[in-house]
Order: sequence, then C-alpha cells, then structure tokens
Amino acid sequence: MIALILSALWGVVMMFSGIFLKNKKAAAPVAITGIIALLIVSYLEYNAVLYLDADIRGMLKFSAFGQVFTGVVFFCTLIYFILNAAEFEETGNDTFEYYALIFFILSGIGLVTYFNTLLMLFLGIEIISIPLYILAGSDKKNLKSNEASLKYFLMGAFSSGIMLMGIAFLYGASGTFYIDGINVATAGFSPMIAIGLVLLLISMSFKVSAAPFHFWTPDVYDGSPTVVTSFMATIVKVASFVAFLRLFDNAFGKVHAQWQILVALITAATLFIGNITAVFQQSVKRMLSYSSIAQAGFMLLAVFSLNTFAKEGLILYAAAYSLATIGSFAVVIKMKDYSLEGFNGLGKTQPFLALMNTIFLLSLTGIPLTAGFFAKYYMLIGAVKNGHQTWLVIFAVLMAAISAYYYFRVIQAMYFKEGNAEAKPVSAVFKYTLLFTAMLVIVLGMFPSLLTKALY
Amino acid sequence: MSKLVYLVPLFPLIGFLINGLGRKSISKSLTGIIGSGVILASFIVSLVLFFDVKAGHTGVVKLFDFITVGKLDIPFAFQVDQLSSIFLLIITGVGFLIHVYSTAYMHEESSDHYARYFAYLNLFVFSMLLLVLGANYLIMFIGWEGVGLCSYLLIGYWFKNNDYTNAAKKAFIMNRIGDFGFLLAAFWIIQQFGSLNFADVFSKASGMKMNDAVLVGITLLLFLGATGKSAQIPLYTWLPDAMAGPTPVSALIHAATMVTAGIYMIARSNILYTLAPTTQGVVAVIGLATAILAATIAIKQNDIKKVLAYSTVSQLGYMFLGLGVGAYTGAVFHVMTHAFFKALLFLGAGSVIHAMHHEQDIRKMGGLKKALPVTHITFLIGCIAIAGIPPLSGFFSKDEILAAAFSASKVYWVIGVLGAVMTAFYMFRLYATTFLGKFRGTHEQEHHLHESPKAMTIPLIVLAILAAISGFVGVPAVLGGSHELEHFLAPIFAGSVKLQHPHNINHNTEYMLMGASVALAAIAILYAVSRFSKKPELNDATSFGKVLENKWYIDELYDAIIVKPLRGISAFLNNIVEKLGIDGVVNGVGRIVNYGSRQLRLLQSGQVGAYILIMVVAALALFIIQLFVL
Repeated sequence: MIALILSALWGVVMMFSGIFLKNKKAAAPVAITGIIALLIVSYLEYNAVLYLDADIRGMLKFSAFGQVFTGVVFFCTLIYFILNAAEFEETGNDTFEYYALIFFILSGIGLVTYFNTLLMLFLGIEIISIPLYILAGSDKKNLKSNEASLKYFLMGAFSSGIMLMGIAFLYGASGTFYIDGINVATAGFSPMIAIGLVLLLISMSFKVSAAPFHFWTPDVYDGSPTVVTSFMATIVKVASFVAFLRLFDNAFGKVHAQWQILVALITAATLFIGNITAVFQQSVKRMLSYSSIAQAGFMLLAVFSLNTFAKEGLILYAAAYSLATIGSFAVVIKMKDYSLEGFNGLGKTQPFLALMNTIFLLSLTGIPLTAGFFAKYYMLIGAVKNGHQTWLVIFAVLMAAISAYYYFRVIQAMYFKEGNAEAKPVSAVFKYTLLFTAMLVIVLGMFPSLLTKALY
Repeated sequence: MSKLVYLVPLFPLIGFLINGLGRKSISKSLTGIIGSGVILASFIVSLVLFFDVKAGHTGVVKLFDFITVGKLDIPFAFQVDQLSSIFLLIITGVGFLIHVYSTAYMHEESSDHYARYFAYLNLFVFSMLLLVLGANYLIMFIGWEGVGLCSYLLIGYWFKNNDYTNAAKKAFIMNRIGDFGFLLAAFWIIQQFGSLNFADVFSKASGMKMNDAVLVGITLLLFLGATGKSAQIPLYTWLPDAMAGPTPVSALIHAATMVTAGIYMIARSNILYTLAPTTQGVVAVIGLATAILAATIAIKQNDIKKVLAYSTVSQLGYMFLGLGVGAYTGAVFHVMTHAFFKALLFLGAGSVIHAMHHEQDIRKMGGLKKALPVTHITFLIGCIAIAGIPPLSGFFSKDEILAAAFSASKVYWVIGVLGAVMTAFYMFRLYATTFLGKFRGTHEQEHHLHESPKAMTIPLIVLAILAAISGFVGVPAVLGGSHELEHFLAPIFAGSVKLQHPHNINHNTEYMLMGASVALAAIAILYAVSRFSKKPELNDATSFGKVLENKWYIDELYDAIIVKPLRGISAFLNNIVEKLGIDGVVNGVGRIVNYGSRQLRLLQSGQVGAYILIMVVAALALFIIQLFVL
C-alpha cells in the first residue's frame, strides 16, 4: 500500500525535479534513489514492519504473492535503470519525464497486482498503457518511433474497448465489480458470463501479446527506442501476466474447465507463431521481440494450469525472463548494428559483453544451471500435474527446442563467425551490474527456492 | 606402515605429471633421472611394505569415499596383502630396470619425445599399481583401463608410422572388448552382492553353492576381461602386434605390467573361480589351447620380437592353465619368474636390435656371440630359464603348473609338456640363429656391431641373476624344499584350498613327470642348437610351415568374419541410414521451420487494419468455440 502510493508520488517528484534540476545527468540518481526507496518500503511491508490501514472498501487485496511480485518488479526496474541510465539521456531531452512515466507505470503495476475489483484492474491497465504510448514515441524525430506509438495507441484503445465491454457483461450478469462476487456468479455460467469471460480473455491476451492478438508487438517493440522496448517486453509484460493469472484464478477459477481449452489454443498459437517467426528474423532486436511472444506462450501455461506450480513458476519466470531479457537488451543497445551480422566476432572484440549475453541467451533458452531452466520446468510440471491436454506440454517442449535455434544463432555469431562487431564503450558500473545480473541468473538456476519460498 | 601405501602409485603419477607437463623444458638427462627415480622410490616403498606384510601386517587402507550412491558405497581404498605386495615388487622392480634401460635405448629421440615416452611409461606403471592395489573391482577397473590406454599410447609411440598406429588401435580395441566383459561382471557383482569391495564380495560368495549360475556367469565375464588384457584366445592377436612400440615398452607390457593383469585379477578372485568349476574348466582349456597355438606360431617367426611375443602368449596360457586347475600359487609363481626372464629376453633382444641398427629379422643376424658378450650370456640364461631346465627359475614354476595339471587331467599334462618342448625348441632356434653361426648382415652393420652401454647391460645382468635364482623361493617339497612362496601366499588362497580336493601325486610319479619334461626339453634344445647354428632357415617357409609363419591366418580370419561385415554394416548405416534417414529428417525439420518462418512472417504486414481484422476473426472463432462447441 505504501509502496503503491510512493511509486505514484515519486513519479510526481521526478517531474518536478526535472523543472528544478536542469542537468539531464541528475535524472538517473533521483530515479535510482526512488526505486531503492520503493524496494526498502516493499521489503518492510512484506515483513509487516510498515503498515498502512486505509479504508479502500476492499478494492485492493494485499497478499504475499503480490508483495513478492512487486518486489521482483522493483528489483528488475532497479537493474534496468542502472544498465540503461546512459541510454535514457541519449533518447531525447525529456529524461526526467521518461523516468516519471515509468514510476507511474510502476504504480499501475501495483494496481493490477493487488486489484480486487474489475474497476481497479481496468484502472491499472490504463495507467500502465497510457505512459507506454508516450514512451514508445519518445524518440520524436524518428518516424518509426512515432509509428509505433500511434499503432500501439490505436490497437490499445481497441483492446481497452473490448475489456470494458467484457466488464460490462460481467457486471450485467453478476451485479458487482468485485471478483469474489463474480466468482460466485459464475456458478450458473450464463451466456452473459461466458461472453464477458471471452472478452476479458481477448483483451488480456492482447496485453500479454498472445497470438493471434500479438500483432502490435513486433511493430511496436521494433519501432520504439530500444531502451523502452526493454522495459515493455519485460516488466510490463510480466505484470500483465500476474493480472491475467489473478483475474482468471480468482474470478473464473471455479469454471476452469469451461475455458481451459481456449487458453490452451491461445497458448499453442502463441508458442507456434512466436517461435517459428523468430527463426527467420535478421535483426536481434526484432528477434527478441518475437522471443518475448514465444516466452509469453510459456507463461500462458500458468494461466492454463492454475495450480501451485503455476503460481510459484510465474514468479520465477517473471524474474528469470525479466533479468535475462533486460540483460540481453542492455547488450543489444550497446551494439552499433542490431542485425545478426553486427554480432559477428563479438566474442573477440568484446569478450565480456559476449559472455554475459551468452549467459542471458542460455537462460532464455532454458539451459540447466540458469534460471530459465527452472522457470520452464515449473511451467511444464504445472501443466503436467494439471492432467488435461497433455499434447500442449509436448508441443511446448518442441517449441522450446526450436527457440534454441534463434538464441544460439546469436551465440554462434558472437563466437564462431569472423567479424568485427563494434560496441559502444561501457562504464564500470554497467559492467558490474551486468555481471551481477548474470550471476543472479545462475544462482536462481541453481537455487530457485530462494525466490519461491518467499511466497510462504 | 601400510598407511604409506598411497606413496607407491603417487610417485609414478608425479613423475608422469612432471615429465608430461615439462616435456618442452626439461633436459633429457633430467627426464631420465625423474622417470626412473620415481619408480625406484616406489620400489623402495614396496620393499618396505613387503617386509611389513611378511611380518603379518595386512589390511585395507581407505583413502577417501569415492562413490556413495544409495546403498552402494565404493571407497577409494587400497588392498595391502601378500598377493598385492608381491605384484608391487615385480611391477616396480622390473619396471625400474626397464626405465633405466630405456634411458640409453631411447637416447636418439628428441628431448620432448623422450619426455613424452617417460611420461607414458610412468603413467603405465601408475595404472598398473592402481590395478593391483585396488581394494575393490572399481579401482581395479580404473587401473585396468589405465593400462589399456597407456599400452595404446606406447605402442603407437612412433605415431608417424601408420602400421604402428594401427597396431596401437588393434591393442586398444581388443582390450576394450575384454573390458566390456569386465564391466558387465562388475555390474552383475553390484546387483548380486551390493558391493564391489573384495572383502564383502568374497565373504558373501563363499556362502553360495558350487557352480551357482550367477557365479559362473560373473566369472566367465571376468575371464573375458582377462583374455583381452592377458592375450588369450580369442583376443590374443593384439599382443604380437604390440611390439610396434619401442622394445623396452614390449618388455614392460609383456613382463611387468598389463598382461599379468588378467592373472592377478583371477588370482585375486580365486574364491569365485573355485566355486565355479565350469568356468575353471573353460579357463584351463583356453589357457592350454592358447599355450599350444602360440607355441606353434612361434616356431616359424623370423622377427626376434615376434618370437618373444608369441612365447609370452604361450606362457600366459600356462598361467591360465594353472589358474584353471586351481594351482593359484603356481600361476602367481610363474608370473613372477616369467616377469624376470621375459623382461630379460626382451631387453636382450632390444640390445641386439640396438647393435644391429634396428634390424629385427634374425635371418640377417647370426654369430653375435662375440660382439655382444654380455647380451649373449644373459640371453642364454633367459632361454634356459624359459625352456624349463633346472635349476633355473622357469623349471620350478612351470613344473608346479604341469604337476597340478597332471592331477587334474593327464591330457592337460601331455599337451602342456608338448607346448613346453616346443617352447624349448623355438627359443633355442631363436638363440642359435641369432648368436651362433656366421654373421649374415651387411658389412656396414658388422663394422658397427657393439656391445650396449652400461645402462642397458646392467639391467640385463640383474635380470639374468633373478631369472636364474628366483625359482628357489618355490622349491617343492618333493625336491626337498619348503616352497616359501606358497606359505607366504597361503592366506590369500586359504578359502580356495579348503574347497579343493587335495591332489597328492606320489613322489615317484612326480619325479617321473619332471624327468620326462626336462629330458624332452633338453632333446629339443640340443636338436634346435645343432640344426640352426649351422644351417639357419633363411628362406620363407613352405607348405605347413607357411601356415605357421602366417599365424594360422587368424588375423585374416578375424578380418573376414568380424571386421569386414562390421565395416559393411557401418557403411550401410553411414550412407543410407545416417545420410538419407537421420540427416534427412533433421535437415527436413530445419527446412520446414525455416520455410514456415518465412511464410508466417508475412502475416506481419504493418497494416493496423489487417491486424484488427485478424483479431476480430480470432475473437469470433473463440466465441463460437466457447458458446457453441464446448
């Protein structure tokens, strides 16, 4: 609760400090201070040291799951800020505002994590989306960035409409916005409930870029400044997943069998399109966009199976995927040329960056000893224990095998191809943070319980 | 004291590491000193251990836990007892002499190859020590594999020569076939006894009934391992080819290490074999057949080392005969005496080859007696010893095996003596052709004939003395001795002796048997010397002799019935199954994915309208499924 309020307040602080502090370079320290404060506050809240008892009419519901998840989000944001501080300054003149928007997004993430009514969910989703439309277009002079912003806005508006319509149907059927009430109302499973459910499923699928509602993703991710893509593809995406999981678990968990097959179809389509399309991509940035769709397919398995493994696994997946992707994007940003050829010979010219990138890519592939392995393992074991639609598990494993192809192509380019890959100079802080991130990926790959046991 | 047993294998390992890693920087003389010095150090420790054991201090020394999985616990432990201490002495003692000899024999090599040679040699000794010291089948197997690897490295030491590397590969593959049997046996032992430790396995096995199918199976598989390592039918063909390596290596393989591994393993597992008389029968017959087959081949070989190689195969056959008829002490005794005289003969042959500038064909030698006096005398002692003429060592050990064979079956004895007579014959054919008569080499060679340096002759002299007198540790009661070796080894074979029927041949029979075999051997010697010193066989053999010269065409037979069909199958698998089948599937999948990727990518048109259209269609599809299908 306090962290949620603080994140919104810090966004305001960021905006005002932009007026008083003229120097662009001052933005990053202020933002990092804010995120560290958020981390400390959420840690204290998790341990029930800090406590705010406000009457919010039960519209938000605080749980250990949500607190651990926001902790993960704040932590990943911290790493993201440190790794990308220099890029924020280069993207445009409104550095303070970019950070401010990200803090607003963080408060939106708080809302979608803790929501207990559909209104709060919608509010959270919009608070996340609107700053993102702006951030996507933050490279104002770049036409592609403008196009990305506009496309994202158009299609985002479309999906918001669908979501509102779904909420309206559910309200009509149950007479309440509270998800507990909707859960009770689903017992009869009237057509109105069914329609509302499918509409919400579509809009949530859009938000997590699940196929076939993913079309905005490659264009927006590719067009936006890479530093923004890195944020959208990781922290925002996993937050949407938590909202997705909570909504379908708490509101529609009782009628799981009624909609499970729909999620299975969407999952299969997402895995298929994400992985297959990524194979052909020549730009590493665009490949990572498709990879984010493919990874979303795996995370959808959590919504598909809705059991303990799914919930523990989603937290683990959120951390593993975010850390590895943020790390990998941080390396990509430093490259002069984003195409696959641009990575040729990076192992010789920049051995450190190449090694770090290799660890992140291995984790994304799901190789043992990296966090990505256990993340995928939890997802698969959850789906297996769930007991239905076993074909989906086999399909997911096959698709994970295909993913090795496009991730390893980057590794191959870095180490086994001749070339003169050029990278921008990096600071010592960047190096140590990247190394720290890579080590975290490996530690989580050996002891996933470090994170999952925090849930209890 | 036995706590220090780890030093025995540690020294050669250190030598291997120093010589192996420092081969580019260490000088030749230092390499030689390190290489030989570490073995000498091992020998000294072994000697101390031996007297310690003799005073009654035996036991298992556990170094650390090696593998602990569930109920299976395999420690890294060494067995210090009578049997292993004898083998330690043979390995390090003879091994040391061979190392010293090598310092002179290999002096023409460049310094890094010289160091490589000594590194391999040290590793070889290390592996063999591990094999002998292991207190369970796993440690033994590590050494077992180690000697296989080192023999490969050393036989192929001159790796630029294609024939030599082929010989190395042959040795390795033949050994691997045997190792397969050993491994299966080890797994079976785990399954049956739940442990690989000798103490546990033997104590549990001794409770089982005679000829239990499991025991027969295990012992037969172990014996398959032994046939590979100790060159018995059907896996013996690698040993004669193994002389492609430098001559001291042959001496090491044939005398101190490697080939005795199989004997050691069976002697160690004697209780299992005694409980499986069926296997014992197989061991005896295979041993005897190998002894006689190899002896016939040796008669017609013209390469000095090949004759010795086949004589090794033949002598190993005797040892297996001994094991097969339950004369475990006799087999170990023969290992020991054989180690001395065979090392002596090989090193002597090396000395001859050295003098003749790498000429190995005995038809081009002759009359070397004068030019190589030390080599000549020592070689002669070796020949007499192997021929089994008293009082040299070979007589006592071979006689013990033959006596045991006689009490098991008279047929064994007759064939055994026949082999012994052939041994005497071909050894003296070799001796007479090489050392007696007239010199038949080139003038160039004659001019350069010289006795070898001291580093080579001193090991020869030491070995000659040992070959002459070492038989006295096992003088049987019938000749008024007390057979000290038997008393020493008694604890090892106690379990087996209890189960065996005592075979007492009366003294008169025994005198007769001895007399007959010695007399026949003596006649063979006289005949061979008188015939070959004047008129050596210079032409290629004809008719039946040609069959013998070509080793009964066994290699060709193996080639035809095993190698060629195998090549055919693998060519089929490679060209058809792999290239068309598996590659086709694998590449096909890759191509389909790539194609799919190229097509699917076109959906991403960049048109927002098109995207929304697809979304609407998908949404409709979901509604239809949700509302009408489910």
